[in-house]
This record gives sequence, structure tokens and C-alpha cells, in this order.
Amino acid sequence: MTREDAAKLLHAYVDGELDAAKNLEVEAYLAGDPAARAACERLREMSAAIRDRADYHAAPASLAARLRASVPAAPEGTRERAGWPRWLGPAAALAAVALLTWGVTLLSLQPGEDERIAREVLASHVRATLGNRLFDVASSDQHTVKPWLSARLAFSPPIAEVSAHGFELRGGRLDYVGGQSVAVLVYQRRQHMVDVFVWPTPAQKRERTSTRDGFNVESLASGGMAFWLVSDLNRNELDDLARLLAANSAAP
Amino acid sequence: MDPVSERKRRFEQLVLPHLDAAFNLARWLTRNDHDAQDVVQEAMLRAFRFLDGLRGEAKPWLLAIVRNSCFTWLQVNRPAELAAFDDRTELHLVDESTPEAFVVRQCDRRMLNEALAALSAQFREALILRELEDLSYKEIAHITDVPIGTVMSRLARGRRLLAESLRAISNASQVHE
Repeated sequence: MTREDAAKLLHAYVDGELDAAKNLEVEAYLAGDPAARAACERLREMSAAIRDRADYHAAPASLAARLRASVPAAPEGTRERAGWPRWLGPAAALAAVALLTWGVTLLSLQPGEDERIAREVLASHVRATLGNRLFDVASSDQHTVKPWLSARLAFSPPIAEVSAHGFELRGGRLDYVGGQSVAVLVYQRRQHMVDVFVWPTPAQKRERTSTRDGFNVESLASGGMAFWLVSDLNRNELDDLARLLAANSAAP
Repeated sequence: MDPVSERKRRFEQLVLPHLDAAFNLARWLTRNDHDAQDVVQEAMLRAFRFLDGLRGEAKPWLLAIVRNSCFTWLQVNRPAELAAFDDRTELHLVDESTPEAFVVRQCDRRMLNEALAALSAQFREALILRELEDLSYKEIAHITDVPIGTVMSRLARGRRLLAESLRAISNASQVHE
């Protein structure tokens, strides 16, 4: 074995990646070349240094929680879609156009209660962000925020403990939406602020999402409360929060 | 059990245990926590969707998906980092006259992390997968989608560049002191 050959195999030798025959050849060569033995030693030290001293970044607990929350719900739709026969593509597109036209007609005929509320909560969110007056009570402690709001409203808004899922409570404020006083809970995710408007409603409503002016607006009703979420946060993560709020509110 | 919860059970049993490895790789490639979290979340959802394609070991399978997501992210957010890379093939014995052995023995945690982070993504990922995840050349070849010979030469060059970079950092910190 030449020096060149040995040089080519040295890393694989140190990494224990050579087969038995090649391993013996390299060992035989090393026995006669002290400089190569020293090089080999240095490689081992380098390897040990990385193993011992380089940071190992374990996943933060919040990420695991976020995944457990989002994994079961997200892929069901995609699974179904993957299983659709091919001819359904154009048919579905046609049906979607038909539905859309019908929906747009309905919407344009009937701006409706939801449309009006969506506009009001969005305006409130933008006003608060622009004026940098996001909360009347600033606290990450729900036991501070909740009594403060309850004392000023005719109802007591449920406040979900969602920091384990990556949403930090930052505070709360009062506002006036749809002709009544409502609670606004302010959550933060990374640099995004999420306003959650809460008021009592007898209705039970599934989630609805829309995008306007670059903001995502999501609404649902659960456990006797209506929730309207407004944020520049992406839709998926806003969905996560909506689900958590619904679960919290539905719990006895 | 219905197919969705069966799939979820498989995912939790086979894939989720490798979440730390997934995050470690993404964190080393994106070099910050927020982006690593976003990339890993997206990759895990893709892994869930493609779970039927999983044959054999889950760890290299998952890391291949995470690695792909990371490189897509790098292409969009750090294109310059990838553009600078070229795979030269020659291997050298580390030059005996350099004081690298001493530098490697003396370097502290901060210096080592800094030097690793300064390597090209391709060298960095090879070293992370080899030394921190203890994967074989074959597994690394699968994850990074290159031949085994390329893995070997990237590890060799990566280690050499790391030694040089450690020496530079150590010289710089001596000047400052």
C-alpha cells in the first residue's frame, strides 16, 4: 500500500468503515509510517472533540407538543385527496367553480352578520397594533387577566393555558364589537401578535377562516362563547390556537 | 383500528422518537432556533404524509426528509451559502507540521461550535450526522443523496477545514487577549 492509498482510506479507517481485509492493510501500512500514525491520532482527537464539545440541539418541548397537536388533523385531507381517482380532478374543479360562484352570489347578496363582525375585529386589531396599545392589562398570568376582564364585563372569558404550545399570553383589553362589550385576549407567537375576541353566544359554530388585507381571521363558537382570532400569523398556526381555544372552552 | 389512528400510532412509535435528531440537524443547518422549528414542523408533517414509503430504519428515512426541507429553506433564505460550495475530490493527509493537534485538544466548546457553524452546509451536515448522530457512511450517503465516496471525501475535507478554522479562531482570540 502506498502513502496515497493509505491517505485515501485513513478517514474510513478511523470511522470503522473499512472491511476486514482493507482494515488489515491499513494497519500494516501504519505500523511502518509514524507520521501517518500521528495523523490518525489527530483524526481521532478531532472526532472526539466534536462528539464531546459540539452542541447537541435537542428539540424544544413546545415543538413536540405542537407536532402532537397538528399531526392527526392535518394529513387526513391530503390522504383523501391522494386516493381520489384521476377523473375526479376536472370534475372537482368544475364543482368548485360552481360552488364558488354560488358562494360569491350569496355573499354579495348578503353581507351578513359574520362579514360585519370580521370587519370590526380586523379594524380593532389594526388600531391596537398601529397605536401600540394592545392591552389594558398586561400580564402573562391568566389569574391576573381573567379577573381584570371579568370585573369590567357582564361575563367571564375563558382563558386557555397554551404556553406549552408556543403561544404566550401577553395581556387583555376591552373593546366594542357587534353592539356589545367584548374581551380581547392578546397572545404572542414569535414576533406575531394574535388578538382573540371573546363574547358569549348561544350558537355552536365550526371554524371559519378568511384572509383580508394580509391578516388571517378565524372564527368559531364553542362552550357558549364566540371566538374571533385575528393575526398576521400564518393560517396553520392560527388554526392550532383556534383548536386549543375550542378544546379548552368545550371542557367542563 | 381505523387507518388514520393506526397511521398516527405508527408515526408516534417509529418517527417521533427521532425528533431530537431531526431538530439537531435542522438547527445546525439553519443555525437558528426559530427557523429550525419551522423547518422541522413542516418536515414532520411531510413525514406523516409519506409514512407509507417508510421501509427499514426510520431515523435515516426521517433525516433525509428533514435534510431536504433544510436545503430547500437554504436555497430560498441563504442562497449564497450553497452557491459557494464545490465538491473537490482529492484527499490529503493532514500536514504533520501544523499545530492542529494542539489546537483541537485545547479548543473549548464555544470555539468548536463557532468553527463548525462556519463550515459549508455540506461539510457541516456530514460531520453532524457522523459525529453527533453516529450514522454510517451508507446512511449519510442516503440522507444527503450523494455516493458513499463523496461522503468520505466531505468528511475528510470537513475535518481538515474545521482544524484550520479552529486554528484561525484560536489565533484571533489570542490576539484579542
